Amino acid sequence: MVARGNNRGMTRLVVLVLTVGILSALVALFIGGFVIRVPESLTASPATVAQGSTPAQNAFIHLETVASVNTAITFPRPDDPHPTWVSYLPTTILKVPANSTVTMQIDQEDTPSGLRNPFWSQAFGIEGGTFHMTYFDDKGNPQEGDFSSIPDPATAAHTFAIPDLGVFVPLEGVNAAAPAGSMNVITFSFKTGKPGVYHWQCFVPCGSGTIYGNGGPMQTLGYMAGFLVVQ
Amino acid sequence: MIRPNRTHALRLLVAWAVLSVIGVVIGLQLSLPPGSQSQQSIEQSWLLKLMTLISTPVFVGVVLYILYAVFAFRQRRGVLEDGPPSYGNIRIQVAWVAITAVVVFILAGVGISELDAAATGTNFTSSNAPALATSGSVGTTEGHALQVQVIAQQWSFTYRYADYSGVESLHLVLPVNANVVLHVTSTDILHSFWAYQLGVKADANPGVDNVTYVTTLQTGSFTVRCAELCGIWHGNMSDTNGAVVSQADFATWIAQLQKDNLSIPVPSYAPYYFPSPRVKGT
Repeated sequence: MVARGNNRGMTRLVVLVLTVGILSALVALFIGGFVIRVPESLTASPATVAQGSTPAQNAFIHLETVASVNTAITFPRPDDPHPTWVSYLPTTILKVPANSTVTMQIDQEDTPSGLRNPFWSQAFGIEGGTFHMTYFDDKGNPQEGDFSSIPDPATAAHTFAIPDLGVFVPLEGVNAAAPAGSMNVITFSFKTGKPGVYHWQCFVPCGSGTIYGNGGPMQTLGYMAGFLVVQ
Repeated sequence: MIRPNRTHALRLLVAWAVLSVIGVVIGLQLSLPPGSQSQQSIEQSWLLKLMTLISTPVFVGVVLYILYAVFAFRQRRGVLEDGPPSYGNIRIQVAWVAITAVVVFILAGVGISELDAAATGTNFTSSNAPALATSGSVGTTEGHALQVQVIAQQWSFTYRYADYSGVESLHLVLPVNANVVLHVTSTDILHSFWAYQLGVKADANPGVDNVTYVTTLQTGSFTVRCAELCGIWHGNMSDTNGAVVSQADFATWIAQLQKDNLSIPVPSYAPYYFPSPRVKGT
């Protein structure tokens, strides 16, 4: 009787320990899936020197900003765990050469959402002080030009900012009058300086459905922020 | 009744006095943070030094007594037996409590008066810190304090100069020998503005105009950090390019900033901001 009681107690203990162990492992895997997952990196295409009639080119990075990652035109990410999140694409870990000039092209497909601080409608720290932009006017006609800021802070969709390099570029939202599937293409260049890992981010609180727009993609690596690896 | 061993007491007293004097002399040589860039940081360094010097004899006394007891009163080899019974000594107990209370109350009083001075700007009247000099180009008058708004957001600080039509800057630049009133606020969530070398730390909350004061005394750079965990990139919310510059350099810098800001829509200056909409996309 006593022995059977002990056996039953032992069995219960083993089941309990196993259950707790398995549950802990599942929780650890679930959290680890978030913590360990690091986006793939994108290496800038190398700079070229002038040859004959071909002009010299800076190291080049091509990015895309979209309202939801599964509807991207250039770099769609349908298998993303958050297909409706706003994001930079194809990735947010960017590798660029040190002490050089990098040219960046951003295909901006998102609609305006507005700057909470209008100060960020200026561009800072870019070569020549201006960025080139093709966009659509209020009649839906394509336009282009060089700008040092966007005219109305309320029309910003995102910003591309590397605070430690002093680089801040506002990205104009696609005008509602533009044809479906349109994008504003913003091009600018900046100097990288010494090797290091620099944080970059968007300054528009653009996390839809979250409090003050500061949740979700604004708080997760791989969407609205990342690292510029200068090497 | 066990009589106190006067030899032990005398030894301890002499060792404590000698070591305390040595400790205080060493403590006086220390250069304690946050430094001497502002009146506030000088006062904080002085307060830290005062606390260090007063606590040195206490620290020496406690550690010395423990070490002395370990060696002098340890159980020798031989038969293990109970130690002699000990009774409280009312005079020592009263003295211990009284001295501790006096030290703690003095330090609390000094600390509270310093906190109060920092919170109300009464240390603006210090003779070490002349008011911002009259200068047509700077546009300030004698005795006038420079008003700067510190705006926190995920994940950067910007600075608006209320006296200069609300121009905004990425870096906090201040003239030397000036009284500065900092209005700290936030456009989204809770942050904390911490200009370490200036000896200034203030909560940055949305919808709140949190006022703090600084009197600059030395030119040089300083670091601004966020001191309130504010999201995934909190660790990147810092700027090492804060600067205290000469009044002439400040005039040049702010004039250039005003010129640069002409091209952007500067919103009307508000004492604080509320984030909106509450839920994005609804």
